[in-house]
Amino acid sequence: MKLKFRAPLATTIAIAVGLVVLVGYFIPAAQTLRFIFLRMGIVLAAVALLVGVLNLISVHFRKISDKDSKGGYSLVLILALLATLGIGIYDMFKAHMYGNPNFEWMNWIFTYIQRPIETSLMAVMTVSLTCAATHLLRRKLNFLAIGFFIILLLVLMGTISLSMINFPILEDIRSWIIHVPALGGARGLLLGIALGTITTGLRIITGSDRPYEG
Amino acid sequence: MTITGLIGMLIVAIFFGLMIIFNVVRSGSKKARLRSISAFTKLKQAIGLAVEDGAQIHLSLGRGGVTSPQSASAFLGLSMMKQVMRIASAGDSPIVATTGNPALAILAQDTINSTSKEVNLNRRGESSEGKLAGLTPFSYAVGSMSSIRDDRVSANILAGWYGSEIIWLSEASERQNSFTLAGTAHLPAQAIMYATVGEPLIGEELFAGGAYLDAGSMHEASLNAQDVFRWVLVIGILIGILLKFAGFDQIIHNLLVGIQ
Repeated sequence: MKLKFRAPLATTIAIAVGLVVLVGYFIPAAQTLRFIFLRMGIVLAAVALLVGVLNLISVHFRKISDKDSKGGYSLVLILALLATLGIGIYDMFKAHMYGNPNFEWMNWIFTYIQRPIETSLMAVMTVSLTCAATHLLRRKLNFLAIGFFIILLLVLMGTISLSMINFPILEDIRSWIIHVPALGGARGLLLGIALGTITTGLRIITGSDRPYEG
Repeated sequence: MTITGLIGMLIVAIFFGLMIIFNVVRSGSKKARLRSISAFTKLKQAIGLAVEDGAQIHLSLGRGGVTSPQSASAFLGLSMMKQVMRIASAGDSPIVATTGNPALAILAQDTINSTSKEVNLNRRGESSEGKLAGLTPFSYAVGSMSSIRDDRVSANILAGWYGSEIIWLSEASERQNSFTLAGTAHLPAQAIMYATVGEPLIGEELFAGGAYLDAGSMHEASLNAQDVFRWVLVIGILIGILLKFAGFDQIIHNLLVGIQ
C-alpha cells in the first residue's frame, strides 16, 4: 500500500522538476528555479558517488571471498582505494589546520600513479584500435567494410608525418575526406541522435517511460 | 522570452504533441511494422538461447551521468535492460549490469528490483545485480571486462554512453565468442563499434531499442514523431541548398542573426 502511494508521488515530483528544468532553458524567468534544481541534482549525484563507492567495495569484497575469481586484484583495488581516501583526508586536514591547500600528496598520486597508468592504457588502446582495423575485413567482407578500411588507410597515411611516405596529395585527400564526406555523414548521424535524444528525454520527463521504480 | 527560446519550446511542444497523437492513433491497432534491424532480431534470438542454456546476459550501461547531456543513452540503456529482463524472465540465470556512473548504478539496481518484482522473479541463490565497475572511463572498461569474460555469460549488450574505451569491451566480448550488441550516441565510439562488434547500432538505432523490444506504444509513437521531424529536416536542408544556389544565403543568414 505504501508503495502504491509513494510511486505516483515520486513520479509527480520527477515530472514537475523535469518540466521546470526544461522550461528554464526557454523562458529566462524560470532560469533561477532551473539552476536551483540543477544544483540539487548535482548534490544528489555527489551522494550517489558515495553510495557507488560502497557498492564497488562490496562487489570486490565478495570477489575476494569467492574462491573461483581472481580476488588478488580486488584486494589491491580496495587497499588502493582506502590508501587514497586516507591520504586525501590527511591532505584536507593539513590544508585546514595549517592553511596550506596545495594537496601535495594527492597531486603526487595523480601525477605519478594515475596519469602514467591512464597514459599507458591509452597507448594500449591505440594498438587495440589498429588490430581491430586489421581484423575488420576478416570479420565482415562487404562493400561497406572495404570502404571503411580503404578510407581509414587513406586518412592514416595522410596523417603520418614520416618524410619517406610524405605525399602532399595524401594530405589533400585526408583533408577532403575529413571536411566533406566525414563531416556531412557525422552531421547526418548527429541529427538522428538529436531526434532520438529529444524523444527519449520527453518520454522520461512525462513519465511515459520509467524503467526504474522511483 | 527570446524568439530562439520560443522556437525551441514550439519544437518540443510539437514533438510531444506528435508523440501523443501517434500513440492515440496506434492504441487498439496491431503492432507497428518496423523496418528490420538485424541487431535486434539477433538479440531476441540470443536471449532465447541464453534462457535455454541457462546462461547469463550481461548489460553494460556505459558511464553517462543522469545529470549530463549523455543521460538519454543512459536511460535508454535502462529501458532496454528492463525489456531484456522481461524477455529473459523464464531463464534460471540472473542478469548482470555494469555501469561507470554511481547514480546510474543506483537506477540500474532499482530497475532490476522493480522488474524482478513485476515478473515475479524469486530465484534462489544468485540474484540479478547492478554493479559500479569503475569511476573513470578506463577503470570502468577494465572493471566490466571481468563480467564479459565470465564463462557463464553468453550475450553482452553494450547500450549507453562510451568513449574510445568501448574497444576493450567489444574486443573482450568478441574473443569470448559471445553475442555482442552495442549502441552509443558518441560518434567516435560508433566508428570503433562498427569495426569491432558483430551487431553494431549505428546513428539513432540505439534510441529505437525500446520500440524493437516491445517496451510500449509510446516508444513506437516516438519513432513516428522522429520520422516526421526527419522529413521536415530533409526538406529544410534541401530548401536551404536551393536558396544558397539562388543566392539568397546572405539574406537568410542576416535573418537568422536578427532572430538570435
